[in-house]
Amino acid sequence: NASDATAVLGLDADLKVSKQRAPIAKLDETRLLSQNGIPKLRKNAKSKLKFKGKGHEFSDLGRLLNFYQLWLDDLYPRAKFADGLAMIEKLGHSRRMQIMRREWIDEGRPSFQIS
Amino acid sequence: DAVAVGQDVQVVDPEVRAHVYSLVTALGGFNGEDVSKYSIGDDALACLRDIKKWLRLYDEKTNRLDVARCLGEANLVNGDLLPILSLWFGNGGHTKKHMTRIALACLELLVPLTWPVEIHSQMTVNHHRHTPYLQQVQVQYKRGLLDQHAGMNVLRSIIGIGLPSLSLPKSERTNRDEGILKLVLYLFRNVAMISAPKGLVTDTDEEEISRSATINAFQQQQVFALLLTMCSNINDEFSFQDVVLLEILFHLVKGVNVQKLFMNDTERNAKRNDELGDLLQKESGVSREYAKTAPTRHGRFGTMIWVKRDDAKVSTVSGQDILKDGQTAFNKMDQSKKWNRPKHGRRQQEAEAASGDFSSTTHLTPAAYINLRTFVEEFLDTGFNPLLTHVRKAIEREANRVVDINTRQWLYLVAWFLQAERERRRYQQKQHEKTKGTSKEIEPDSFSLVAGVLNQETFVFLNRAMQYSYDNKEWQDLNANMRCFTQILLTVQEMAASPLEEDQEIAENIQNRIFYEETTHDRILSIVRGYNDQGFAYLDACTELAHVFLRMLENYSKENVDMQVRSKRRSKRAKKTNSEGQDEENVEENDSEAEELADAARAVRERKFDFKRFSARFCSQKSVDTYVLFTAYYRELDDEQLKRAHRFFYRVAFKQELSTLLFRVDILNLFYRMIKGPGSLDSTKPIYKDWQELVKQLTRKMIKKLDERPALFTEMLFSKVNSTLFFLEYGYEKQTLFTG
Repeated sequence: NASDATAVLGLDADLKVSKQRAPIAKLDETRLLSQNGIPKLRKNAKSKLKFKGKGHEFSDLGRLLNFYQLWLDDLYPRAKFADGLAMIEKLGHSRRMQIMRREWIDEGRPSFQIS
Repeated sequence: DAVAVGQDVQVVDPEVRAHVYSLVTALGGFNGEDVSKYSIGDDALACLRDIKKWLRLYDEKTNRLDVARCLGEANLVNGDLLPILSLWFGNGGHTKKHMTRIALACLELLVPLTWPVEIHSQMTVNHHRHTPYLQQVQVQYKRGLLDQHAGMNVLRSIIGIGLPSLSLPKSERTNRDEGILKLVLYLFRNVAMISAPKGLVTDTDEEEISRSATINAFQQQQVFALLLTMCSNINDEFSFQDVVLLEILFHLVKGVNVQKLFMNDTERNAKRNDELGDLLQKESGVSREYAKTAPTRHGRFGTMIWVKRDDAKVSTVSGQDILKDGQTAFNKMDQSKKWNRPKHGRRQQEAEAASGDFSSTTHLTPAAYINLRTFVEEFLDTGFNPLLTHVRKAIEREANRVVDINTRQWLYLVAWFLQAERERRRYQQKQHEKTKGTSKEIEPDSFSLVAGVLNQETFVFLNRAMQYSYDNKEWQDLNANMRCFTQILLTVQEMAASPLEEDQEIAENIQNRIFYEETTHDRILSIVRGYNDQGFAYLDACTELAHVFLRMLENYSKENVDMQVRSKRRSKRAKKTNSEGQDEENVEENDSEAEELADAARAVRERKFDFKRFSARFCSQKSVDTYVLFTAYYRELDDEQLKRAHRFFYRVAFKQELSTLLFRVDILNLFYRMIKGPGSLDSTKPIYKDWQELVKQLTRKMIKKLDERPALFTEMLFSKVNSTLFFLEYGYEKQTLFTG
């Protein structure tokens, strides 16, 4: 019996499409390690940041902070500077980040030998 | 169950209400031929006893607050009880037996009615319904009890009720006498404790029930005299009343600024003017800062700039203030973001019961300052040692009358009165210098007035309580404990600088005892390092303790090169010498003398290195985090607190050579804001210069390090790990030397 079948199977009933919300971008390890994250920071830090040195401590410090602020604004526009810093600091505790950090430091060592 | 509020909702069972009202009516009233005079009903005594029965048998048995509420609505206290008491006191009631009984019955009602109603965890719907009302009505009670315009002297008459029992020697007092004394004291405790409930609007003038009014009334009606008498004779006469006396004192002095207490009027006025001046200066600083960036045109002038960034990107920022300099534009870019990082964890601090909260400050009127100071000086001279020693013993014995909150109150009071004693000495010193030419030399005072809390038993008690509250996460208790310990240390420090030979010896001895226990060192370290959301008062207390402790330990270890500490950990060397068959505990007990000597010798050898090690453990990432959180309040901190934070960071960066710990972008951001704003420190103050210098030197160091080790650019974002810390600081790996 066809009418029974529709009642049971719900073939003729209207389909409700619930709209999925667009996912909110997260500031997580993946984002931090992506091209726009720390790699970019490491590349730019040497070339873009020029310090004036003695006698200009505060303007130098301000410049450094602005540099980080712009970088963070590019990486994750959503968060305020202080909030973003706190989130990144928290990410730094994870296992994966620890290993990566170790590597970055080791790259900078003058004569890195495996002992 | 909760019912929707409407016209005919009854919060109390109507029958109960009717019963209670009829009793209150039958008690007496203002009528008859002389309307201004209260006339007592024929069966007043029976009525009072019935009301008491209602309170006990209905409210207490069924765990409700209905009768108390009805009595509040019927205005029993201000309308009946207080007039009856003044009637008894005014007409030489001591001689009339019946009237005295009535007065006592009034007191028996007053005590439960003024008993503090607090928010606690076992509340029913009924409690929630009545508590706000009762808190309000208790404020009215207090106003009535303190009211002197009517010339009633209620407090005096209550002392009058207690006097016969008070004058008996302890051996002759019956249970009833002890009960009366207890009632009298508890009433004073309640009066001292009732305060306008936070967040509820009371219709009384705050002035009339303020701490100042309480203190003045206590002074005028000889309550202070009674308290002093009892405190100084606590040992032989009043040993059961000690805890109540402690509570009264606690509620009288909590939150009062000790420094203001020991000033004469001119100084206090000057201080107040200074404070006012400071505030005005602060305000003008704020407006100046605003004026720097305030728009010079009208609000719709519509300036907009582009901030050029790399990859040909731009950000737009609007408003005229951004034209001043780049920094403002950057700040504005940041401020215009709407999203805030969600704060995880419970941010709700459960409401602290008023019985033990001491973190809010109280301001007094000049008259109240003078009254309280008179009392405090007399108390220090006569009652301090006996009372506090007695209570400490009671707490240690776990006597029945002691409740948990008393420990916290005891600790707070010790801290408060030690500070008061130190302030008093300073004040006397000043007075003496003023009159130096005229008066003869006075003998310097010894510290015997507060010796009762500077003995070994107290230190043991303090340490045990500290460990207990730390282990059980009782943060408020720990807070009081830390304050107490800090004050003891400061007192000892002053003793060491005293001109009396004897004082110096005692101070030396005390320091030796305090610093001898390594567990104390470790506990203070772990408290500072373990800070986690316990609120500003706690943060303040633990940083202060760490600051004072470290400074004194440093000086002491410098002076005593052969200083020894008793460490719970057994040294490796000692373990080696032990035969391995014995178990640890046995070894602890049966340490051979030779080994002890060897241990001592080792301590002697390692002492200099030892403080360094302690200091190094103190300067860890966790402590840095704690102090950074503390410094984040820099707008509200006073000079002493700013100095404390400054010394710590200075120690980390330049004494311990661990500046890498501070190279974190958020910390640098905070420091930069402190110096350069927006909302920087007041640049006219000397402490500003210190901070400026510190940040300058740090920056210099940082730029050098960034140049040497570019890896720091990424590490600046994170907390450092121990394994890489050394390399980042020095640029080479730690050399581990194997000896032997």
